[in-house]
Amino acid sequence: MSVATRTLHAEWTKVRTVRSSGWLLVGIATLTLGLGVLVAASVRFAECAPPGGECLVDPTRVALSGVYAGQVAAVLFGVLVVSSEYAAGTMRTTLVAVPRRWVTLVAKVAVVGGPVLVAAVLSVAVSLLVGRVVLPVNGFTPANGYPALSPTDPATLRASVGTVLYLGLIALLSLGVALVVRHTGAAIATALGLLFVFPLIAALVTEPRWREWLTEWAPMSAGLAVQATRGLEAAPVGPWQGLGVLAAYAVAALVLGGVALEVRDA
Amino acid sequence: MTYSSTVPSRGAGFTQVLNAEWTKLRSLRSTWICVALTIGLTILLAYVAGSGNTTDANDFGPQRVFSVQLVHQPLTGDGSIVARVADQDVTGPDAKAGLMITAPVPAPGGKEGGDPDPRYAAVMVTPGHGVQWQSGFSHTAAGSSDPAPRWLKLTRTGSVVTGYESVDGVTWTQVGTNDVTGLPTTASVGLFVASPPTGLKSIRRSPTAIESSPDYTLSTATFESVGLSGGDGVPITGAWEHLDTDGAPRELPDDNVAGSFTEDAGRFTVSGAGDLGIQPPGFGADNDVVRDSLFGILIGFISMAVVATLFITTEFRRGTIRTTFTATPHRGRVLAAKSAVLAALAFLTGVAAAVPAFLISQPLLRENGFTPPAYPTVSLTDGPVARAVVGTGLVLALLALLALALGAWLRSGAAAITVVITLVVLPLVIGPFLTLEGEAWLKRTTPGAGMAIQQTRERWDDVIGPWPGIAVLCVWVGVAMVAAAVQLRRRDA
Repeated sequence: MSVATRTLHAEWTKVRTVRSSGWLLVGIATLTLGLGVLVAASVRFAECAPPGGECLVDPTRVALSGVYAGQVAAVLFGVLVVSSEYAAGTMRTTLVAVPRRWVTLVAKVAVVGGPVLVAAVLSVAVSLLVGRVVLPVNGFTPANGYPALSPTDPATLRASVGTVLYLGLIALLSLGVALVVRHTGAAIATALGLLFVFPLIAALVTEPRWREWLTEWAPMSAGLAVQATRGLEAAPVGPWQGLGVLAAYAVAALVLGGVALEVRDA
Repeated sequence: MTYSSTVPSRGAGFTQVLNAEWTKLRSLRSTWICVALTIGLTILLAYVAGSGNTTDANDFGPQRVFSVQLVHQPLTGDGSIVARVADQDVTGPDAKAGLMITAPVPAPGGKEGGDPDPRYAAVMVTPGHGVQWQSGFSHTAAGSSDPAPRWLKLTRTGSVVTGYESVDGVTWTQVGTNDVTGLPTTASVGLFVASPPTGLKSIRRSPTAIESSPDYTLSTATFESVGLSGGDGVPITGAWEHLDTDGAPRELPDDNVAGSFTEDAGRFTVSGAGDLGIQPPGFGADNDVVRDSLFGILIGFISMAVVATLFITTEFRRGTIRTTFTATPHRGRVLAAKSAVLAALAFLTGVAAAVPAFLISQPLLRENGFTPPAYPTVSLTDGPVARAVVGTGLVLALLALLALALGAWLRSGAAAITVVITLVVLPLVIGPFLTLEGEAWLKRTTPGAGMAIQQTRERWDDVIGPWPGIAVLCVWVGVAMVAAAVQLRRRDA
């Protein structure tokens, strides 16, 4: 076996045998699905459409809104893969076994990203299905301008694939944060802060320029721009462009984390 | 032979436990880093809230509003009109039903229709302010403080109009009189009804778009014994015409505010929304400049949550909890001591963050248009402001206790930090996806309800009062603390 395969195997063994990993992957799937179902069940067409006016609710966004909760588990998963090694001291063993540290980093990216994507695909697919069934009951019918959610619609497909990638990128962003911060608690707070702080600030300011800027450049709101299937002209950032912003955050965090891994003592 | 130590027993004293816990908390560098971060983030957010908010509330100066349902007929020369307002719907303290004489008004002449003609005089009853007199927007007078039923009378002599009220239609008391210059010889005279909106109502059209509009309500009034007579006292029996000067376009559903008029055997039933009089500047400006400047504490809390949970989870991880419990076998006492020192630190941190946050943001907000009269200047010594500032410390202390209790219960820093941040922050992020009621319910029941302590004025999106909000947070803290105490007693350390 080559170094790469062995390292990958070693990292996979570590992830697979920690009890929290399984729970967190289940958590990503159930939280995403659970919150999505709750939100889809609570929206009402009648409450968003003024007579003669247009309802601006984006049904795909509603069906996939569970990602707001699911990402919390993804953050935890990404952070723990690194920080638990620092806490237990196994990072030193890992680095002795594989002295080329970037190989370890690449292997960790693979064993974090892969399982998260699998959990995400499952939950996104079921969320869409639930949205397809539940939303018409609440008035989002073809007659009201809401055709049933279907992956054959290019925009819905883009939103679904984008949401899966979003969850993967969030996990990788958290992995990078944990490599820099190392401490579990601090890394979780930093990663969650990075996601949640900007929407709170956006809710606080009224100046349109500020709001637009915050939506365009904050990792969460930019990344989730990929879920948009309606009102794209008015969106401050395009779907893939927004996901690109999140990808840039994730890459930056991984590069910083990689540099920290290379130059700092474990 | 028995032996007893001559050294007085000191281990069990609560003061010692407090002192021990305070020493642990203060000797960690991370504690002070996180405290500094909490204060710094809160102040930074106050700066952002101060610079990122602008308002033009004061640009809409005093506005003349002439949006009424008028049931009228022409009167040439002198004359008078009498009616008994038998009944009036109480749709607010300022709903109006009464008699009016006016220069002919083009319909609709509401506030959207430009400058309305001020050549009018009116006497009216209101549910909250008794009998009122108005002329040309600028002249007002008050009569008795009784609501309907009431007799009203309006007389014209030359250009002088006088309004009277009466309990029985026999003895009349003057309410007000004015020389209405420019009142044409043939004027419209009749009954009118108006009912100004008392609040805002909102609908959510998408997670990012909430539309609010005044909550228009129709008020219906019934007039009896309507009598119109000329200057010579001879009754005039012309046809009554209905004029709607309240024609502003409205967008929201249920804005079914078209006025109406029916007459049945001398009983005139008139119903309508709208208003008559001067609308003060800054009408509808309801930003809470105090809350906006202190809201950042929620973001500072993310940093404080780390201190709070690690204060106990680190002891489990490092095993020092065994030493702690050996020194103080009463585990509940350890939890109490940890709670006390942590709450004190968090409270002081919260206040230390809130005071500069308030002081920094207010001048910035004033620069951005948040000035009197729409936004009265606020100061730290105002009751509600002081409550909000001290309450910010209180909220931070309670949230820190929640984090500590979750840490003691779950014994894992990772789990406790995640749970507490998610519980507090996620409802605010996910709320916009729900209906307005769903969001309000979520904000009312989750620990973030405590943030209501920062409210200093009524707003349409208030979901809970300041102290009930704190009570909700206290319930969360109480439940988590009980769970933590039970778990500490039952499980091995």
